[in-house]
Amino acid sequence: MARAVPADPHDGEALAKRIENRWALTMVGLVALLVAMVIFTGLHWATMPPSRVETINPSTLHVAGEFVESNLGSAVEADGSITVRIVGQQYSFTPQCIVVPSRTPVTFRVTSADVIHGMLITGTNINSMVSPGYISTFKTRFERPGDHLMPCHEFCGTGHEGMWANVKVVEPDAFARLVGPTRRASCDL
Amino acid sequence: MSGPLLRNRWFVGSVGGTFLLLVFSVFVGFVWLPSAQDDSLFKGLLNSICSAAGVPRSWLGEASAPVTSPVKVSEVVMTPTTLDGPASSGAVGRGGTLALRCTMCHGLRGVSNSQTPTLAGQYASSIYKELRDFQSGARVSAVMAPFVADLHDQDLRDLSAYYASLPRQQSPATQDLQSAPDVVATGAPMRNIPPCGSCHGRLTAKLGVPWLELQPRDYLKTQLEAFARGTRRNDTSAQMRNIARNMTTEEIDASVSYYTGGQ
Repeated sequence: MARAVPADPHDGEALAKRIENRWALTMVGLVALLVAMVIFTGLHWATMPPSRVETINPSTLHVAGEFVESNLGSAVEADGSITVRIVGQQYSFTPQCIVVPSRTPVTFRVTSADVIHGMLITGTNINSMVSPGYISTFKTRFERPGDHLMPCHEFCGTGHEGMWANVKVVEPDAFARLVGPTRRASCDL
Repeated sequence: MSGPLLRNRWFVGSVGGTFLLLVFSVFVGFVWLPSAQDDSLFKGLLNSICSAAGVPRSWLGEASAPVTSPVKVSEVVMTPTTLDGPASSGAVGRGGTLALRCTMCHGLRGVSNSQTPTLAGQYASSIYKELRDFQSGARVSAVMAPFVADLHDQDLRDLSAYYASLPRQQSPATQDLQSAPDVVATGAPMRNIPPCGSCHGRLTAKLGVPWLELQPRDYLKTQLEAFARGTRRNDTSAQMRNIARNMTTEEIDASVSYYTGGQ
């Protein structure tokens, strides 16, 4: 025999519905806010999943291709832009000193020869993982001359704290004097 | 079951809403945001979807051709399996026979009595890499070049296996990391110098890098200074030159003294 349900003096069902509705709206609002933030940063600051994925064999970087030692550093392209190529390895960046002109489009191409490293350039929004097997590519532009540090920011082993490089931004005419006949420049000693 | 579920407005609202959100997010992530990138490789529907999905593609194919080095640099490819496995590892016995030609400088059992490196117990990967570099001319030595000129790759693997198999000299107590100079144990991070021990043993080792303990003083000092001046350049991608050129004379002396056992 079914027991008679006592009348609910507080109208529990309607109350539960109100609370459910309120929570549902809060959650939808949160998700909408997050998606809107992603869209805003994506459109206005061009933040993106790192780059077009580009792979490379990390064990043969020094043998052939664009990451051979003599091709590292800043390269002057035909259109006047600069391509900077850097190899990260336990425990240094090569080249250790990177020189680029101000007010010029710069494309960084960075890869690792061994483990996962990272790089960021202080005072800028340049910040990337440097992974073996992948080339991190990003484009930027330095407005003012100045010196920046470029530490490895991903723990890469017992010598990690000694791994950093210098980035020198110089006036375009000063940069032009540093460029050799091979159209490459670095400020390594 | 579907009837009652679809009549439940909570079910329809939450599942349907989540699905719509998914469709919208996919459009944002795979089409809208990639298309906003200022790069031809992101233009077009297929390109933007592939880029967001992470399909590998070469990016700067049109850039200027690489500059090749005017001097010979190391071309040895070292991976953990380079000297591993039945076909690629060396034969100790055969290496021992070949090593007879090395004994006049490197000692009867790989322990040098002159200013040449001690090879007993050295990592096989390091010996193999240096032999290959002597052969290619990436590492220049008037003495070593004629000795390796006519050796085959398998000979080099056998020699490496032989010397790696010999017992290392007993390190004196002064080799303890507690008594090591700062540059060996901690480096000088403010001047771009990681600790020697992070690649050369005691702390950690790096593939292709030698174990340095109990090497002759003159040999170590000459090589370290050659790296610092850039006259020795067979270190892959300048990994040792980067460090040696930042070291002070005192740090060079201190690390050399430590690795010679304080002789």
